[in-house]
Amino acid sequence: MLLKVVADLGQLSKIREFVSDSAAALAVDPEALDDLRLAVDEAVTNILTHGYDGSGEIELELSADGADLIVRLRDTAPPFDSTLVEPADPGPAEDREKPGGFGLFLIRSSMDKLVHRKLENGNELTMIKCDVIDRI
Amino acid sequence: MSENLQIGVSREDGDKAVAIMRLQGSLDANTQGTLEDKAREAVDGGAEYLLIDMSGVDYLGSAGMRAIHAITTMLSPTEPGMRSSHLKVVNPSPAAAKVFKTLGFDSFIDIHSSVDEAIAAF
Repeated sequence: MLLKVVADLGQLSKIREFVSDSAAALAVDPEALDDLRLAVDEAVTNILTHGYDGSGEIELELSADGADLIVRLRDTAPPFDSTLVEPADPGPAEDREKPGGFGLFLIRSSMDKLVHRKLENGNELTMIKCDVIDRI
Repeated sequence: MSENLQIGVSREDGDKAVAIMRLQGSLDANTQGTLEDKAREAVDGGAEYLLIDMSGVDYLGSAGMRAIHAITTMLSPTEPGMRSSHLKVVNPSPAAAKVFKTLGFDSFIDIHSSVDEAIAAF
């Protein structure tokens, strides 16, 4: 399932809807759906706000690999490997005047594996959710 | 006003001036500012306590949590950080409650199951 779009923040709800529809078509366990929508929304938001400064090309692909769900997110923004960023520890957040880094923390808590690949003109973030597809 | 988030605001002026914000829609990076703006209007209008009814919220992400942090600062401007007895949240979905818990917000923002219960707890 592939979605190619010149996205801005106004399309986040449509992108989450695409995740829901694709996950259903791939027979993903409905209990994993909230985690998938959260991870994709946060990753797309990061690309739009930090990579593109508002809007830009997003390619979102969901596929099955046995019982695992593979989410690939491609952009044409400047190279940036979010998997190397130290995530914010939410513990002390109540003491911070301006908390940040929550998006990356939520992505990592929602998915089982993250891989960044630098493309010739952009980035590819692969997010894997293990054992969420029932292959009978 | 974002199409993806509608906010109805009402007041309960009993012992304390409480603004009740009933959210309907998604709370993401696109609508974060809508919530902050409505909360600012309520605070500027004299509300000292704020209740966010999340019964109608179908999505909550980190941007929504940043809005909630900003609101705690509006309500308690002299206290840095997020702890605030002036803000309560009502009835988030299981997914939204999980975001609160994952980010540790549930340890310093009270979550209630009904508006009446939350108002009584102020």
